[in-house]
Amino acid sequence: MLKIGLRAKPTTSIRPLASRGLFIKTIPQPPGNIVGTVNDAYVPPPPTKSHGSWHWTGEKIVTIGMAPLVLTPFVTGTAYPLADSIMGTLLLYHCYAGFESCIIDYIPLRVYGIWHKAAMGLLGLGTLIAGYGIYVIEKTEQEGLVGIVKKLWTA
Amino acid sequence: MLFLARQSIRSVPRLNLARVAVGMRQLTTVKTTSQEEQNILVAQRKNRPSSPHLQIYQPQLTWILSSFHRITGVGLAAGFYAVTCTFALSSLTGLQFDTATLVSLVAGLPVAAKVALKAAASFPFAFHVANGFRHLVWDFGHELTIKGVYRTGYVVLGFTALIGTYLTFFL
Amino acid sequence: MFKSIIRLQGTRGMATQAAAQRLKSFKIYRWSPDTPDKKPHMQEYKVDLNQCGPMVLDAIIKIKNEQDATLTFRRSCREGICGSCAMNIGGQNTLACLCKIDQDESKELKIYPLPHMYIVRDLVPDLTHFYKQYKSIQPYLQTKSKPADGKENFQSVEDRKKLDGLYECILCACCSTSCPSYWWNQQEYLGPAVLMQAYRWLVDSRDQAGKARKEMLQNSMSLYRCHTIMNCARTCPKGLNPGRAIAEIKKQLAFD
Repeated sequence: MLKIGLRAKPTTSIRPLASRGLFIKTIPQPPGNIVGTVNDAYVPPPPTKSHGSWHWTGEKIVTIGMAPLVLTPFVTGTAYPLADSIMGTLLLYHCYAGFESCIIDYIPLRVYGIWHKAAMGLLGLGTLIAGYGIYVIEKTEQEGLVGIVKKLWTA
Repeated sequence: MLFLARQSIRSVPRLNLARVAVGMRQLTTVKTTSQEEQNILVAQRKNRPSSPHLQIYQPQLTWILSSFHRITGVGLAAGFYAVTCTFALSSLTGLQFDTATLVSLVAGLPVAAKVALKAAASFPFAFHVANGFRHLVWDFGHELTIKGVYRTGYVVLGFTALIGTYLTFFL
Repeated sequence: MFKSIIRLQGTRGMATQAAAQRLKSFKIYRWSPDTPDKKPHMQEYKVDLNQCGPMVLDAIIKIKNEQDATLTFRRSCREGICGSCAMNIGGQNTLACLCKIDQDESKELKIYPLPHMYIVRDLVPDLTHFYKQYKSIQPYLQTKSKPADGKENFQSVEDRKKLDGLYECILCACCSTSCPSYWWNQQEYLGPAVLMQAYRWLVDSRDQAGKARKEMLQNSMSLYRCHTIMNCARTCPKGLNPGRAIAEIKKQLAFD
């Protein structure tokens, strides 16, 4: 008996949804990304301003703060230790926020579960170490980060 | 309980065939529940493929520049983290690493390699800073039309070419 | 006598037709749930542009009528107002009924369904989740108090102007499915179409649920997966600008 339309099923068992990540076990997602019936509205997570508008505003303030500090060494040719330290710290947060955005986009929590948390943890750890590294650089290097770049450039 | 029509091509009793004109399909109904139908729908969803995206979407200034912004950002940040973390670890462990070590690593390279390294650092840096300003302009609500996006995009590309070349060859 | 005349006319007709054919190659994405193990593939059809209307929808209807009746796609108004025939034509998301066929018959035209969507059949995407996301922003007027005269919600001309460029959205899903952030996280990111409608209600002076509407967007995914890529405004077949609307929402939320 020929079956068409809704009654047609593959001769093999129903294929599991292709999971992202070939070597990492991902959390299986609801088929079609659809939770509930077709008439239920999508339910957003409970509001958290710290992950919402405050995070965005913080990112922007840091970026705006960095703008003059990144350009002045190129204009003046030299760097001031305090400005360099501030720029280093702002740059560190900027890099952290950038990496965090990449992790949320490409290693989302709902698909990767603990791997997402592991990535964020690794990022946090790396940021702390890098932060200490900036402190070391500002202590040992006369012109700080800009000094290193200058020396490498004229090597 | 829902009664749904099913089309099936199955043999029908001769009696019915006599009344049915050639070309008309025989309809039969099947008793089912809405839950059963929902289950069939969910099973169907599992089979559906996902339509192609990156491989077929036309390359446009909008998303190409946005991808470059992210790629250059990740690259520059990776370099920044690498250098600062090495300094941190040199202080924490006994690893001998300071500016002099870093400079000597670079100084011994052939000129071509040095220029290549400078270019690899300058162009992404110039692009990311310029595009960063473009993003700030957008965040304040300006140049958010297609004309504005393309206009600022070309300015960023021009800036990258100029400043990148200046940083690589003239600084 | 008449038979010979008719045959002669017929022959002459066929000769002129064959001489003036302009065949354009259309490569169309095919997949059937009746044969789910057969991977999605491209099927080529040749259409004579001299016998076809100017829009891509005319071509695929012609293909369905004359060549392959199993080709499946959504369509309704054929005038760019219903949003049914949204698909990826030549790499860009647009409405098939508004997309003119490039009359250069040496170039082939590739037609895909909307990108990164689950495909029901051929060019038909499953828009269920898209509609669920639209429902979640509560796209209707919400007032706490009755209007002053008890009848009309008054709105000034200036306030009504703020809705221009927002209300005309036909929910075709071209913009959302052109957004890379929506490709990677469509389960949680609302996408430009839905966010522009959220803004449409935020900015409607008659609506009194602004605070609740903004609260709904206060998480890392619903709104803030937008990285101002601006593919949405680039592809909108109605000339609307969801990217700008999203930037305005972010500005409104910034100091909340």
